[in-house]
Amino acid sequence: MSTAESSLQIIKPMESVQSARSSLRLKWAILSGALLLGLAVIFCLNVTVGSVGISFDRLMQILAGEAAGSSEDFIVWHLRIPRAIGSALGGGLLAVSGLLLQIYFRNPIVGPYVLGISSGATLMVATVMLSTLHLGFMTPGPYLSTIAALIGAYAMTLVILGIASKVRSAVTLLVTGLMVGYLCHALTSILMAFAEKEKIKGFILWEMGSFAGFRWSEVQILAVVGVAILALTLLLAKPLNAFLLGEEYAATMGVNVRLFRVLILFSSSSLAGMTTAFAGPVAFIGLATPHIARLCFGTSDSRVLIPGAILMGAVVTSLCDFVARLVFSPVELPLSAITAFFGAPIVVGLLLKKGASL
Amino acid sequence: MTQGQAPQVVMETRGLAVGYPGKTVLDALSLEIRAGEFVALLGPNGAGKTTLLRTLARLLPPKAGAVHLEGKTLQSIPQRELAKALSVVLTGHIAPGLMSGFEFAALGRHPHTGMFGSLREEDVRAAEEALAMVHASALANRRIRNMSDGERQKIVIARALAQAPRIILLDEPTMHLDLKHRMEVMSILQRLCREKNITVVASMHDVDIASKVADRVALIKDGGVRAWGPPEEVLHARAVAELYGFDGAAFNQCLGSIEIRGAGCMGSVFVAAGVGSGAVLYRMLARRGFSIATGVLHANDVDAYVAESLGAQCVLEGPMEPVSDAKFSAALELLKGADCVVDAGFPVGGLNRRNMDLIREGLLLGKPAFTLRKEAVNGVDGAMRCEGASELLERLEVQDAMRCTAPKEETTA
Repeated sequence: MSTAESSLQIIKPMESVQSARSSLRLKWAILSGALLLGLAVIFCLNVTVGSVGISFDRLMQILAGEAAGSSEDFIVWHLRIPRAIGSALGGGLLAVSGLLLQIYFRNPIVGPYVLGISSGATLMVATVMLSTLHLGFMTPGPYLSTIAALIGAYAMTLVILGIASKVRSAVTLLVTGLMVGYLCHALTSILMAFAEKEKIKGFILWEMGSFAGFRWSEVQILAVVGVAILALTLLLAKPLNAFLLGEEYAATMGVNVRLFRVLILFSSSSLAGMTTAFAGPVAFIGLATPHIARLCFGTSDSRVLIPGAILMGAVVTSLCDFVARLVFSPVELPLSAITAFFGAPIVVGLLLKKGASL
Repeated sequence: MTQGQAPQVVMETRGLAVGYPGKTVLDALSLEIRAGEFVALLGPNGAGKTTLLRTLARLLPPKAGAVHLEGKTLQSIPQRELAKALSVVLTGHIAPGLMSGFEFAALGRHPHTGMFGSLREEDVRAAEEALAMVHASALANRRIRNMSDGERQKIVIARALAQAPRIILLDEPTMHLDLKHRMEVMSILQRLCREKNITVVASMHDVDIASKVADRVALIKDGGVRAWGPPEEVLHARAVAELYGFDGAAFNQCLGSIEIRGAGCMGSVFVAAGVGSGAVLYRMLARRGFSIATGVLHANDVDAYVAESLGAQCVLEGPMEPVSDAKFSAALELLKGADCVVDAGFPVGGLNRRNMDLIREGLLLGKPAFTLRKEAVNGVDGAMRCEGASELLERLEVQDAMRCTAPKEETTA
């Protein structure tokens, strides 16, 4: 009698768990489909809308190669498409970077920008861009600034990691990140004071954060290396779920903590560093989009959230780029200005809401 | 040890020293933990219970000696194998908010699943059974964020269970829980040992609960294990008092509880009691600061255990013996020194008939006397009848002789 009862107890909720799981899966599939569709729509808008308007029919002709040689062909193939791809890709990379940092530090208010990782990358890029003459380099190509940005990002991650091991408070870590960021800005401005005028102009444009002037060569690097690291992060999804409980629990659950700590932080700073190298420091995408993804998908499961954050980051960043180009056209607004408009309130909101969850 | 009926030793420490870099917290630990045993680690805050647990879980390296898990040294076991053998419940708030109870419990399947952590049917079943085991099936689809502390703790234990370990280590598993959840968690842990033959090692604060659920206890203090064995052998009053440095409280092994002694600054009361009539009364009087004398009690009476734990002056007679002349006059001496006499309303029988004579003697001596007896008894009519304990207390406290002595000294000084 009692065994029959207890087995009944087990079976009943099992069915409900199964049905809850399958309905969640359906929700995730629909949401991903919707995000993909949204991304396609914004991509089309980014390619067609602008100071030179291009109709959908004309776009099809251009894509089919029937308008070769025209100015519209040049605009679409060499300005708008690389930019649209760049902003979508960059947004996806930043979102995953932020997601990894939030899980590793178990802190909902961190991201590559607020922790100063972007600033570290900026400083190194500034060193390369502004002082090439003194160091005897040729014009800084995409490779050089990528490498510089990566070095800057790694160095800053190590600094933050060192500080985080000393302090446990979420807010202290945030403030420390901001301070380190200011320090990098100060060093960057000192470099600017000694730099040549023409170089400063280019640097300032870059530093405002923009996907404008994205070249195919840059898209290539971002796509190949970025996608490779994204693939790596998908392999990290399972240990990341264990890290949600903290390093100690992860260790007792069979995770090789040392190895995955390095992999998580390496992936995160690579993704942030690379995006910064090409688009400049873009604010808040890395912090806000993982939260938006988390709320939409309604889960903390990294296996769902990593693809979710990639899509969400791509959609949000493409949209922000679209807004930055369009609102005061022909004047283009800095991308970070737009992202900060929605990102900063999210940070404040998370700070006010004590039980912000991961 | 391992042959025949003897239970198998699953975990063993040999000359183990635990601590942090530059500081050894506990030294020379040699413990043998058997399969299916409930082991409680007791000790004051900061004694090193958590440090020991963390070393047993391999979260800290031993400073000396070694921990052996099923015959192998802990450090030599591959991480995943260890996770299949041993799971932990640590203190501290963990709450990935956007997870259901089921998803959280299923995290425990980590060492059993493949590269992407997809749950197979057996993993789902294991997580389900773990939830059912802790009576948390109803929480499966609820968000962790919306759960109470008690519910969350059950989910946390379910996660450790879903890991399908042979040993579970728990650090203060009932901290922050209310009484109901405290008892529930303890009975769940006890069932794990009895039904699943899982070994449970838990650090805890409640000596009284430990004495009731644990198969063996380790008393940890001053850098080592003071005592190690079944609670029946280890948890005697003096050991517990020493362990926690009790002052003004005492642990009673038979009652399995802690009695708090009164300040004794009020007057003294002689209580004629027995057969359980005095236990509650003693506590009340001790709490209000009266010093207590009582007799004649039989040594196996619950009143005797409580009175001794409370530090009352007792006159005890051997079990089942009628009150002897010697004991009677000893009790009479105590009565003479008391300010008041209280009749607890004990049932009168052949063995304790003379206790009524004590009350009569008190009345003859002119002591204020009170009785909780419902029916009148010949010769003790002079005692003031009280309806209940609270009325008795009121009457006692208005007596001049009962005034607190401590403030008096201050005024004279």
